[in-house]
Amino acid sequence: MAVPVSQAWTVASYVLKQKLKGRKRYPLVLMLEPLFRCNLACAGCGKIQYPAHILKAELTPEECFKAVEECGTPMVAIPGGEPLLHPKMPEIVAGLVARKKYVYMCTNALLLKEKLHLFKPSKYLSFSVHVDGQKEHHDFAVCREGGHDIAMEGVRAAVAAGFRVTTNTTLFDGADPNSVRRHFDELMSAGVESMMVSPGYTYDKAPDQKHFLGRARSKKLFRAILSNRKKSWQFNASPMFMEFLMGKKDLKCTPWGMPTFSIFGWQKPCYLLQDGYADTFRELMETVEWSNYGTESGNPRCANCMVHSGYEASGVNYTFGSLKGMLETARAMFFGSYKDNGAMKLLNEWKPAQHGPLVQIAAAQQSNELQGVSGD
Amino acid sequence: MATEAQEAAKIEQLAHANPDEIEVAAGREKEQLEGWIPSLASEAETREALEKAFDYRGDITITRKDGTKVEGYLFDRRSGATLESSYARVIPTNSPEKVNVAYSDIAALAFSGRDTAAGKTFEAWVKKYWEKKAAGEKNIQIEPEKLD
Ligand code: SF4
Repeated sequence: MAVPVSQAWTVASYVLKQKLKGRKRYPLVLMLEPLFRCNLACAGCGKIQYPAHILKAELTPEECFKAVEECGTPMVAIPGGEPLLHPKMPEIVAGLVARKKYVYMCTNALLLKEKLHLFKPSKYLSFSVHVDGQKEHHDFAVCREGGHDIAMEGVRAAVAAGFRVTTNTTLFDGADPNSVRRHFDELMSAGVESMMVSPGYTYDKAPDQKHFLGRARSKKLFRAILSNRKKSWQFNASPMFMEFLMGKKDLKCTPWGMPTFSIFGWQKPCYLLQDGYADTFRELMETVEWSNYGTESGNPRCANCMVHSGYEASGVNYTFGSLKGMLETARAMFFGSYKDNGAMKLLNEWKPAQHGPLVQIAAAQQSNELQGVSGD
Repeated sequence: MATEAQEAAKIEQLAHANPDEIEVAAGREKEQLEGWIPSLASEAETREALEKAFDYRGDITITRKDGTKVEGYLFDRRSGATLESSYARVIPTNSPEKVNVAYSDIAALAFSGRDTAAGKTFEAWVKKYWEKKAAGEKNIQIEPEKLD
């Protein structure tokens, strides 16, 4: 099981309750951004480009708790910025755990080892460590040599101290599916509970504007990565979202599924796009013209999006939307190794990217080792 | 909200391809807005300039018609039917309190702060990486900016 039974039960009963109440739009995970500053400056990230006085600003613990109560989701993810730079992060996390919220504290783990003693292991708390691939790939993505080793040290320290540890991998054009599969092996053997993987979003403020995956390439990449799945891999994502990534299922975006609260207020409409801010969660839900978002809306800023924050809730909705959805999800959970000879061929014939010298070097070294891929 | 000119590459791409068939998604052309002082002579110019200010990742300076100034980050704008009912929302550089300024009160707007999203290309990082590597440096990275 990729998440503890108590968490799966809490989420399932929350979703069913919303459905029984006849709620058309309800959130699943609150994305709480208590600060924007970070100790990395990644090329694909459009989150940290702000003037210094904005980067220095932080939400107080009370503001965080108020947002969590307003929104009412059973799960809270804390991205940023780098949450471990917030001096009151232990207090924020403890307050959320006391409220019995399942917390995913997203971190690049540069400070995890040294700050671990400020947190207490709990079934409600998981460190969601951002690791974008094997050593060279991760270092390249985060524009920092040695970043991978420090992050993995943090992962191991947190696992050893009894914390739940999950990971989060974002892929851009140039990702090598063979390397991503080896990366999954490395993560699982480091003791992580489960992994999340998602294509990157075309942040218009990101320094790198040339390497965003289009939907066609995303589907090819994820089909190659997630087919012929190893039994040892555990994922922290809805099986239907993962089928969507592999191009096996059509899902429509659920922009309200993971609402974002930051120092600016409630972000309209979603975690990725900034079309303004509402002062209350209710105002967010009532004032956004939701039909203007999602790939099917024709909005160019949504055109290539297949990101977890837009479609994970769609996958969950699909599961709980019909008996068919539940049966498909159960089948995917219990029998979903996704044997696929075409995907195997894709993997074996995958050509390394041509745009990144670091990636090319890594890929060239690794291609010598490539002897095909087999399941466990 | 980005303007159509800013999203031109994506709009052009979508004019020729179904989103599900796109291999590499178009990015965004960056506009040089730092230092810009737009003309606010008409309602259309005022609205367009404030949309750009909302999109801008640096501080701006608003001069009100009474001569007072607000310098800070324009994090939101609310567009109403008239300039009186439309307003810019700013977090000033010297205070965390959010300030609202009606569009009709704005005499001048300047993109006065540095554009924090400008000038850090991926290609520049790769080039710098190899230069530093050749010079024997270790632990090469793009440092986040100093905040003090
Ligand atoms: S498609 Fe992506 S960018 Fe558009 S609203 Fe949905 S999550 Fe946001």
